[in-house]
Amino acid sequence: MNTVVVAQLQRQFQEYLVSLYQQGFLDNQFTELRKLQDEGTPDFVAEVVSLFFDDCSKLINSMSRSLGRPESVDFKQVDSGVHQLKGSSSSVGARRVKNVCISFKECCDVQNREGCLRCLQQVDYEYKMLKTKLEDLFNLEQQILQAGGTIPQININ
Amino acid sequence: MLAGKAPGLQHPNSNSILRGLIITLAYDDVNRTVTKRLLEKIGCEVTAVSSGFECLSALSNVEMPYRVVILDLQMPEMDGFEVAMKIRKFYGYHWPLIIALTASTEDHVRERCLQMGVNGMIQKPVLLHVMDSELRRALQSASE
Repeated sequence: MNTVVVAQLQRQFQEYLVSLYQQGFLDNQFTELRKLQDEGTPDFVAEVVSLFFDDCSKLINSMSRSLGRPESVDFKQVDSGVHQLKGSSSSVGARRVKNVCISFKECCDVQNREGCLRCLQQVDYEYKMLKTKLEDLFNLEQQILQAGGTIPQININ
Repeated sequence: MLAGKAPGLQHPNSNSILRGLIITLAYDDVNRTVTKRLLEKIGCEVTAVSSGFECLSALSNVEMPYRVVILDLQMPEMDGFEVAMKIRKFYGYHWPLIIALTASTEDHVRERCLQMGVNGMIQKPVLLHVMDSELRRALQSASE
């Protein structure tokens, strides 16, 4: 094991993870999620976020259909979708996605179709952005493991 | 429905009080997966279900003495309160313990929980240490 390479990768990983928190992509709940992962469940975080992104995709598609025709918007359905999205984004620590959901809910409450469409677009952007960021993060994890190192536990304060 | 047989984990303050069977009911995959793992991490054996029907079915299995139901109150297309009510109706007020997960801090939610015979409430998103202490508290007071 090349300890220099491992140390370098570990530092890269740490810096990247911290930056994701600093830029508001992730919040404390993601830290909680990482606590649930251990040697017995090494892919837990990756699996949960994968479920989350699948959910995002499905919910965004169905909300898009509901918002489709201006004369017959099913706001109840949209509200249900936003609620679900808010819940799951909150559970995984997807801070930006969750925050868009808050605005999204407000637009839904006043039946503002234009506002909803804007929020829908934003939520779509945010989850895809987060997906890319986390893919990069998991990639770094893999590199560390392949180089024979361990994933650092990081305290985000 | 998934039956979880996770090995008990060595926890600094571990004692047998947490080694109980637990059902967790949540509508979506993400919350169900996270809650289940969280409970396993603190040493519980967990069955994760996604409907009130599955929950009641699991409880009726005499071979699996469930002690606690972790119930998500805000589920689309399913009224968590109704599930709680049915549990109390069929199984009485002492068992199983029901701990509700709620996103809301409103008083009327708290009151309704008390009316329904819910034994504890945890605000979402759930933190590991909060679940741990709330479970202990509820199990401890039930055994007194």
